[in-house]
Amino acid sequence: MHVVDGALSNEVVIAGGVLAAAGIGWGLRKMDMEKIPAAGMLTATFFVASLIHVPIGPSSVHLIMNGLAGLLLGWMAFPALFVGLLLQAIFFGYGGITVLGVNTVAIALPAVVMHYICRNGVKSTQKKVAVLWAAVAGGGAIFTTALVVTLALALTGEEFIPAAKLVVLAHIPVILIEGFLCGSAVALIHRVKPELLRDTPSADGSPVHA
Amino acid sequence: MPKFYITAFFALLLMTDQALAHKVVGSGWTDGADIEGEVGFSNGDMAKKGTVVEVFDADDNKIGETTVTEDGLFRFTPTQAVAHTFVANLGAGHVARFTMGVDELPKMAATQTPTPAIAPAFDPTDLQKMIAKAVRQEVQPLRKEIASYKEKNNMQAILGGIGYIFGLTGVVFYIMARRKEKAAV
Repeated sequence: MHVVDGALSNEVVIAGGVLAAAGIGWGLRKMDMEKIPAAGMLTATFFVASLIHVPIGPSSVHLIMNGLAGLLLGWMAFPALFVGLLLQAIFFGYGGITVLGVNTVAIALPAVVMHYICRNGVKSTQKKVAVLWAAVAGGGAIFTTALVVTLALALTGEEFIPAAKLVVLAHIPVILIEGFLCGSAVALIHRVKPELLRDTPSADGSPVHA
Repeated sequence: MPKFYITAFFALLLMTDQALAHKVVGSGWTDGADIEGEVGFSNGDMAKKGTVVEVFDADDNKIGETTVTEDGLFRFTPTQAVAHTFVANLGAGHVARFTMGVDELPKMAATQTPTPAIAPAFDPTDLQKMIAKAVRQEVQPLRKEIASYKEKNNMQAILGGIGYIFGLTGVVFYIMARRKEKAAV
């Protein structure tokens, strides 16, 4: 899913960088101590999950787990996923340094969007409802990521509709798998650590549940 | 019920038959007065027939283009003694790009010094071509292997990455703690 160096026009790369920087900055401002361990774990999850590659057509597909990161982290998903992408670019050459901004936006923005769409559903005390919304977040995040990537390619000159169709079609298995995984993760969290799903605390950073 | 979910999950995983490699690779070599090259994915899938390969000089001026033929190779006859950069767009954000320096280019027809024939029935350029072809065939599997080797995600790097993430988490914790302490004072 990572766009590689040289595939996008300079304007798109710069715009991606600016948007990513803004998102990261906002995410860091919203950071609170309670969520740091979760952010670290989810970054590690993303880092490893993205290494399992599945070639489909001319694109490649892999798990991203950005839906789960978005649900639990909100805006903090930006800095967290950025770190994951940076390390992937350095260690494995996935994506690239110049397109880091675009990739960060493509992966973290859907996470944040899903956070706001599915947050209330996931907070439900009824487990079934919560799991269902989590599955929507997991699958929806991938779908949105696919759209953002195609949009970036479209702005560079590739035909939007056929490219989008191809990318979205290629991601259907991943959308299903991620929906399933995200749902399972929330089912587990619901059972063992339900406070993780609740809203964090007041502005002064004091924990709600102590 | 959970059993059903687990089965369904593994069924989905099987559907995707995992593999590594999705990076694009490109390389070129000389063949007589031509440059022959190939572009494709590092798992060994070559570019489809008809894929356009654009050729640029060192200053990014387009100097020509060619297309990939049946066997995944393309052919380009250089006319200028400058570095040639080959760019092929394989779609969905995959762009293969590689450069051949001036020293890698085939000898231009014009600059080739006419070699006196050693024996009338024997053309040294033919021999050169044959040797070049044989070497290329021998080296082909090696190149594929090297390409896939480059792709390998080794365990150390993965563990190293996780270590970095945990380390960064610690650093952020430290900064936040300091901030909190200051705010308390």
